[in-house]
Amino acid sequence: MASRAPSGDVTAALYIEDVLLVDRCLTGEPAATRELFRRHRHRVHACLFRVLGGNRDMDDLLQEAFLQVFQSLHSWRAEASLSTWIDRVAVRCAYRYLSQRGRRVPTEPLDATEAVATVSHDDGPGARRQLARDGVLRLYAVLDELSPAARLAFTLHEIDGRSLAETAELVGSSVTATKLRVWRARKRIEAAAAADPVLSEFLEPTAGGDVLAFDERSEETP
Amino acid sequence: MKLVGRIVVEPLSEERLTRIERHVVAGATDAANRGQSARIPRRTFGRAFAVAAMVAAGVVGWVLHGVPAGGPVAGEIAPIRLATEEARTLLDIGDARIESDPATVFAVTRPEGGVLVEMARGKVELEVGKRGTRPPLVVRAGATDVIVVGTHFTVDYGDGHGDVEVRVTEGVVRVVHQQQETRVAAGQAWQIRAGLVASADPSGSGAEIARLQVPGQGAGSHVATAGSMATTGSAATTGSAATTGSAATAGSAAAGSAAAAGGVATAGSVATRGSSSAAVALGQAPEILHDHRAVIPEASGAPVTQPSRNAPARPIADDGVRPSGQIRSGDRRGDLRSAIRAQRIEAALDLGEPNPANAIARYYDIAAHKSGEEASQAFYSIAVLRHLKQAQHAEALQTLDAYLRRFPGGKEYRAALWLRVRILCLDRIDDRCRAAAYTYLHEDPHGPAARVAELITLSE
Repeated sequence: MASRAPSGDVTAALYIEDVLLVDRCLTGEPAATRELFRRHRHRVHACLFRVLGGNRDMDDLLQEAFLQVFQSLHSWRAEASLSTWIDRVAVRCAYRYLSQRGRRVPTEPLDATEAVATVSHDDGPGARRQLARDGVLRLYAVLDELSPAARLAFTLHEIDGRSLAETAELVGSSVTATKLRVWRARKRIEAAAAADPVLSEFLEPTAGGDVLAFDERSEETP
Repeated sequence: MKLVGRIVVEPLSEERLTRIERHVVAGATDAANRGQSARIPRRTFGRAFAVAAMVAAGVVGWVLHGVPAGGPVAGEIAPIRLATEEARTLLDIGDARIESDPATVFAVTRPEGGVLVEMARGKVELEVGKRGTRPPLVVRAGATDVIVVGTHFTVDYGDGHGDVEVRVTEGVVRVVHQQQETRVAAGQAWQIRAGLVASADPSGSGAEIARLQVPGQGAGSHVATAGSMATTGSAATTGSAATTGSAATAGSAAAGSAAAAGGVATAGSVATRGSSSAAVALGQAPEILHDHRAVIPEASGAPVTQPSRNAPARPIADDGVRPSGQIRSGDRRGDLRSAIRAQRIEAALDLGEPNPANAIARYYDIAAHKSGEEASQAFYSIAVLRHLKQAQHAEALQTLDAYLRRFPGGKEYRAALWLRVRILCLDRIDDRCRAAAYTYLHEDPHGPAARVAELITLSE
């Protein structure tokens, strides 16, 4: 017998629940629409955030992604998991956004006066957090210079943590092409980091200076 | 360079998420509605040709009849008349979409706030939106009125000399002929030929069509009715039909009429071609359109026809419960419910699992990982257990709806249809229940529950 459920960690029960939920959505049931949105909104938002960085259009993008999902929901054939399919729609949405806006995404502006020009591990937590923020902003400033396809490939693989195969599927490209795009993007970022100590520190934190790790630990602390 | 998990996602506030959710739900509902309306076939070329034909017909009619002496009464909007000779036409009047075959002649008016589609000949297919509390839409084909509150169906008036056929694709319509009313649901057909009324399952062969003689009616009576219709004064037209500009032009061009008490006299003939003298005149609006307060009356008295007459009577259950063919008043619904309960339902797949929740989890597993019969059986079993063991009837219905969409040829398809009837009708015997019963009867006319389903469809 051919397997109808997607492989991986998607459980059978979740798969069937998705099938039933999509059927309800297709009949225009608002409760089902709401439920589907709530199930996937955080994951889609996180994916868009990692690809595009924090920007003021995030609300519109999230809304647009889900509207696209519901407009083409009838085309979901239950061959892939619903999550993967929704992610694909969201990635397409991000690609369109990047293409229309040019490569530059209006991320939060980097205030030159607050930028840390040199890295000092002796500073307190506040300074480290600021360093982390600056590192993220500089990273996305470099990403803004990449082509939409390269940016998607790099962010999905290197930041969102997806495998090359999954990234290739999401961007609708071959694994080889995706691998090449990721490699080129990495080279570009490394070149930028060579001239920018903040970005360099963010990408390759020295011992005890992993500002991002520090940032995450501090957020977990109640 | 290790960046996985190092970009902290800034969460969206609950307020922003709620706002996005509201927009998404509204947009998704629109998308679903558009998806449903997109089923209407589009024949762009045919439509363009038909519009051109209508304009031509209007101009010809205008020239032949000259400028009317009185002209249309100010404030009244002329009815739409269509005579389509060459191609199918799609007319959108806002309340409904009317698609007509070639050589169809009909008129649309809005007496008393309802919609009256009066046919002279040919065939129309209608998709009617829910009318809610508004007066209904009525299609009149000679002496036959088809009353609808929201559905999709066709009315074939043939050459306009008495034979009428009504086929319902979605929903339920009521056909009133010679003051006798019949309910026709999705998958069913009603027809009258030479004075004989028949109600039939369209999938059946011609031999299966039950024919019942209408008392006091003979062949040819409808020709006389149609003729007399042309002399009747018109009903008031109180609203305008939203339609293409061309169609409106054709309508007003043919509306040579003078004011008459109670409405506009609109007996001008419709432009037709050839030797046919088919004329559409606006007859008296049906009673139902005269009384705004009345909803569509329930069928009263014995129905004219009964579907599936040839279905053999059979015991409906092994325990001896057998509903009478004529359930008497008083405990009628109780009897019907007993009959429904007594009807066997196909058992769920036996996994040897006594706990329903565990069994359902295993069914999920099978349905997700297997295909074909195994998946079909497991899917159906989920619905059975939800209904019988967990009393989760709404969830069972959802599962069944999903099953029916995904396994149209499944082994349990008919059993699923009956289970749907059982769940709906044990809750309430209403139009939804009756429609489910009609659907079951249509799919499984000789099935074990056919007789009970038939009784449900005939219930008041």
